[in-house]
Amino acid sequence: MHAHLISRLISRPQPQARASVLACLLLGFCGVASAVGDGQTPSSGAWEYLQRQFYPDRTLGVLDERFMSLEAPANTPDPAATPLTLHFGDAAVGHIKQIRVIIDNNPSPVAATFDVASGARVAEIGLRVRIDRFTSVRAIAETTDGRVEMRSAWVNASGGCSAPPSALSAGTLGEIRFRPSPDARSMLVSIRHPNNSGFQIDPRSGEPIASHYVSHLRFSSDGRTLLEANTGISLSENPTLRIASDQPLPAPISLDVVDSTDAHFNASWSGALAGNSASSSASGAGGTR
Amino acid sequence: MQPRAFLQTLTWPLIALLSHPGALAIAGAPGFQLQQLAPGVFVHIGQQLALDAPGHDDIANIGFVLGTHCVAVIDTGGSVRVGRALRAAIRQRSRVPICYVINTHVHVDHVLGNAAFVQERPKFVGHAALAAALARSRDFFVQQYAEDLDQPPDTAQIIGPDIAVGQTLVLDLGDRRLSLRAWPVAHTDCDLTVFDERSGTLWTGDLLFRDRLPAVDGSASGWLSVLDELERLQVTRAIPGHGPVASDLPMALQPERRYLRALIDGVRDELARGGSMQQAIVQVAAAEQPHWLLWDSTHARNVAHVYEQMEWQ
Repeated sequence: MHAHLISRLISRPQPQARASVLACLLLGFCGVASAVGDGQTPSSGAWEYLQRQFYPDRTLGVLDERFMSLEAPANTPDPAATPLTLHFGDAAVGHIKQIRVIIDNNPSPVAATFDVASGARVAEIGLRVRIDRFTSVRAIAETTDGRVEMRSAWVNASGGCSAPPSALSAGTLGEIRFRPSPDARSMLVSIRHPNNSGFQIDPRSGEPIASHYVSHLRFSSDGRTLLEANTGISLSENPTLRIASDQPLPAPISLDVVDSTDAHFNASWSGALAGNSASSSASGAGGTR
Repeated sequence: MQPRAFLQTLTWPLIALLSHPGALAIAGAPGFQLQQLAPGVFVHIGQQLALDAPGHDDIANIGFVLGTHCVAVIDTGGSVRVGRALRAAIRQRSRVPICYVINTHVHVDHVLGNAAFVQERPKFVGHAALAAALARSRDFFVQQYAEDLDQPPDTAQIIGPDIAVGQTLVLDLGDRRLSLRAWPVAHTDCDLTVFDERSGTLWTGDLLFRDRLPAVDGSASGWLSVLDELERLQVTRAIPGHGPVASDLPMALQPERRYLRALIDGVRDELARGGSMQQAIVQVAAAEQPHWLLWDSTHARNVAHVYEQMEWQ
């Protein structure tokens, strides 16, 4: 098993190199994609298993893009930090209960599970993920009235889970930055954390790097939870989350982060719109390390 | 394989055309064009192709400088085949030993031809950070560029430096000196320039892209600082890593400077208003697109790279 994983390791590709590899192989997959007639990307063993586990006997709605859409780059600018954005239309905002983001061919396919608090008007969720190899990426939303809807996209990328840590993985573990939009309807949150996948090798020592990742996020306002997420090794280094609403966000907003070593980090946004208004702190069993 | 062979058949009549006595072009090997820019300064101009196009192993500008005792090679191309064509072209001109093979940085289109020179027993020369950068890339190069190496492909063909340049180094080729300078993180973390004092020729490596969109694999802001210093150098001509030779270096640097500035300013603005990486990819520096070749394969990656860096500045 270990030898197999090592053999799959690919160093962080050079920029031009990535594009070429992806484009070469793209042609081979176009045929597969076009064979799928229901608007979804190819299925996989991982997805069939997860579907039975999470959504047994449920009909997955074939969505209209106006209700919900998944934006993912077919050729990612960075396999280790591929941006995904979920958009929810007017009919969906305020009616989404839970969203799972599944990357079929990643070693740990469930990238994130978001639980949206009742009444929270989430219009957009953006995150950045590692893509291990060519894969379908899925967003499955369960609505407050019990429907399950899915969108999927095919992403051509490889090596994202084993890409070595970048120089940017240094810095203060658990530092959190909030970047609200000028109209306060969206917020970009950046968390300083290596989010080691467990499939990376230290390029200097040649030793495997143990997994160390953000496992839970909780956004709240005045003690009331707005949004929670269980996350895993598929989130990219220095995880980011971008949340948008159709209304100005409530203020203040607190973010509590827990990682796989049970270290706790938290920060809050006062509601100020200019500059970086975050204050962050770290505490808990794991300390700041 | 087939597209490449097709391209070669296409280029044959072209070579015949270019090889008439008045042309500067010299056929060193079939299909391999060489220009003499000044006495003893030879360059092969790479094609402006994407890294997945047929001919992708011949996209960088490579060449050599000829002294009375030594030849110094500057970059070796994106395959052992291209490296071998360069070596054949040198040997057609001179029997002087190839003492040095200099790599301007780690990228595949500049280093994969190194293996073609091993039998000449040169010293391989690079930036002090080149060895580590190659160590990170070796497995990837062998996996993704297997066809550009000799068969069977193996990591031993990716030759690293014997001489590491920390700041500057002068190489004496016999009646001519090359001044090598290692730069802080810019295009990559291992950029090296080579200046031939006698002809006033500066080999910039990929610190200068002309026509082809610059690829940021190091630091966009670091690169701008390096451009400020390059601009002050007194040179007769500059050989960019990609694109045509420049006679006016400060002027040739301007498009690249303008793009990098637009990239940095655009990402900063996008971050300041909490914009996503995807929004940044669409919006940042969009006005630059008409000015550059190969935009689609490089710009999104540049924005993502700069965005990830500036997020924590």
